[in-house]
Amino acid sequence: MIEIISSPFMQKAFLAGILISILTGIISVFIVLRKMSFIGAGISHAAFGGIAIGFFSGLNPLFTAIIYTIFVALGIESTSRKGKMTEDVSIGIFYSVSMALGITIISLSKSYNIDLFGYLFGNILAITNGEVLLTLITALTVTAFMVTFLKELFLITYNEELALVSGINVRFFNILFLIALSVSIVISIRIVGIIMVSALLVIPGATARLYAKSLISMITISCLTGFTSVVAGLFLSYEYDIASGACIVLTAAAIFFVSLILKNRE
Amino acid sequence: MRIAIQIENLSVIFNEKEVLKNINLSIEEGHFIGIVGPNGGGKSTLIRAILGIIRPSSGVIKIFGQDPALLPGKKETVFGYLPQHLNIDPAFPSSALDIVLMGRYKKTGLFKWPGTKDREIAEKYLAMMGVGNLKDAQFSRLSGGQQQRVSIARALAGEPRILILDEPGTGLDAVGQEDFYHLLKSLLKKMNLTILMVSHDIGTVTTYVDEISCLNINLYYHGNPLGALDDKVLTSLYGKNMDILMHSGVCEKCERLRSQ
Repeated sequence: MIEIISSPFMQKAFLAGILISILTGIISVFIVLRKMSFIGAGISHAAFGGIAIGFFSGLNPLFTAIIYTIFVALGIESTSRKGKMTEDVSIGIFYSVSMALGITIISLSKSYNIDLFGYLFGNILAITNGEVLLTLITALTVTAFMVTFLKELFLITYNEELALVSGINVRFFNILFLIALSVSIVISIRIVGIIMVSALLVIPGATARLYAKSLISMITISCLTGFTSVVAGLFLSYEYDIASGACIVLTAAAIFFVSLILKNRE
Repeated sequence: MRIAIQIENLSVIFNEKEVLKNINLSIEEGHFIGIVGPNGGGKSTLIRAILGIIRPSSGVIKIFGQDPALLPGKKETVFGYLPQHLNIDPAFPSSALDIVLMGRYKKTGLFKWPGTKDREIAEKYLAMMGVGNLKDAQFSRLSGGQQQRVSIARALAGEPRILILDEPGTGLDAVGQEDFYHLLKSLLKKMNLTILMVSHDIGTVTTYVDEISCLNINLYYHGNPLGALDDKVLTSLYGKNMDILMHSGVCEKCERLRSQ
């Protein structure tokens, strides 16, 4: 135990992991209540395109992925809002095209030495000091936004028309939420990986939904589920040398199913 | 008396289809208006245009002389609104009181949560709607009728000048509906409200409202509620296969309205 905690790369992994568990814990509540889990999965897969652009251009892949996923999220919002296509179709197109773009760029760049497996499934060994700092800044900024406008986001989640009549600029907040979601997904990629990051956006909120009676209790349970999953998952990942993303998601899933069984017994 | 809602030559087009056509309507403050018509006749579109949620394709709407699209940005709560469907998660994490407090959000403004005074006001309206004992109950676990009462308490909690109700009878049984319409009548005077109520139930609505608007893309009739029971109006609204069954000897309310 002491060996794990005293290891510098594990300290970075724990710090980044705890930050993203709180961040995704809050966002997960709104993803679940607003039935947006597919957009979470779509944006996380689309991030692959942004990461590939980073490799190709020589810029930090997480930085290019943040910019890229924000554009993808706004593209999905814009096309579905204008009624040109339904949101699920829009997500399906954007994320598959982004994955194809990422694979094409990586094939063309002949960069076979890149840590593709690490980006897809999470690699705690690869986290740099700069990425921990990026995670810290973005986690604090996004959490501050969510907490500051919790009341407005809650009313929009309850009913968008009521929020409009109450003087809330629903589109503005929806766009800010999508940006917050995109940023949260990208900074979680190093720990959980592209393939599994969407689980952190769904499972903590889904677990909290089973027991919560108020918004605050739902956020608290969701963050605790995320926190426990990340900490236990990182320990398991270190101990058994398994990809961190898989360990975290399996721990979260175990918490969810145990909670579900206990709930059904009530 | 002041004009609460003024509509001139309003048309709304969705996907190249005219949903509302050349509507002209003037509603005085303090009146109880029923809007009736068939499904797809534009009732919900009309109230969404009045609320400023959708922009008219042509024509003008004025709410107390102002453009409804500008009202959400103002501090004053003009509208209390009950949508037809909420479509919320079945485990939505809120008590009945939390839901009613949402009606106070506009008054509390950005960055602030409702305080003690807001809580007292919310509890007052919950009690007025006869569900004060359910304030701590989880909203999503309440029956349809109880949810409807809590939702109307939410719409009233902002202390609006105009209350807009889209099919408020949904989830209420016949007796519950009658009590509910009586309650609305009493609120009209107590709070100096103007009420717009959309309903498919033309028979019940004519008994309670001051004026009725019969809408089927065009506005076929606006005026005394009994006038809506005219054959021509009903045929315009629902087609030729429409008959009225009059229950003679029991419709005291109709007689009272006739004598007014």
